[in-house]
Amino acid sequence: MILLAALLLGLLAGWGLASWQRRAYRAPEFKSVWLVFAAFAPQVLVAYWPGAVEFVPPRMAAATLPVSLTIFLVFVWLNRRLPGMFVVLAGLVLNLAVITANGGWMPISPETASRLPGGSAPEAAAVGTRLGEKDVLLRPEDTRLEFLADRNLIPDLFGYRAAFSIGDVFVAAGAFWLLARPPVGVVTDRSGDAYN
Amino acid sequence: MNSKLSKLMLLTSRINRQHLQLLVAILALVLMVLGIGAPSDGGGATRIRF
Repeated sequence: MILLAALLLGLLAGWGLASWQRRAYRAPEFKSVWLVFAAFAPQVLVAYWPGAVEFVPPRMAAATLPVSLTIFLVFVWLNRRLPGMFVVLAGLVLNLAVITANGGWMPISPETASRLPGGSAPEAAAVGTRLGEKDVLLRPEDTRLEFLADRNLIPDLFGYRAAFSIGDVFVAAGAFWLLARPPVGVVTDRSGDAYN
Repeated sequence: MNSKLSKLMLLTSRINRQHLQLLVAILALVLMVLGIGAPSDGGGATRIRF
């Protein structure tokens, strides 16, 4: 939700800036965009489809996220010249590091999880239990690279609350920048014709 | 008439290309941020003990 909000804000900022400068808005032109779909597909299976729990072996499920993020890494590296992509790259590396160091899932402490909607008391939380799409409950002392985990909470605004990592901040900022800024060196007039 | 028709076709093809490009870019970005980011709002039904 918070990442999609960053995208929406970036799109609105980009469109607003383009209108103010009296030029057509141009979305970033990605190379090898098929890699995004190839990288996301395995996540659909293990992170976004609860039914998969029954037939995907835990070891395979735990390997899926690092593999998926590695494919994303290739995509981001190929598109590193786009404005904002280096910020996304930083977030990706941070999230990949902490996820890989903690058995393939993003760690979250029972204390942090207890402050999320529907969270139970920290002492009642079963450590080692998966939470949400990509998280796993781990005590801070058992977490590697704990400072990169989902340990930050957004303020309880509009009845929505979420925990996020430092890597998520970079991903959100990079996504915003990608959509808010036109590609470097490309200027377009209202008709959409590009010239350098 | 032919000139107007060809201009209209050019405009239509340009709009379609731009809209399609924007749609693909936004879809790719949505999947990218959802795939790379890992915030948690406690939602989802997945609670598995390892």
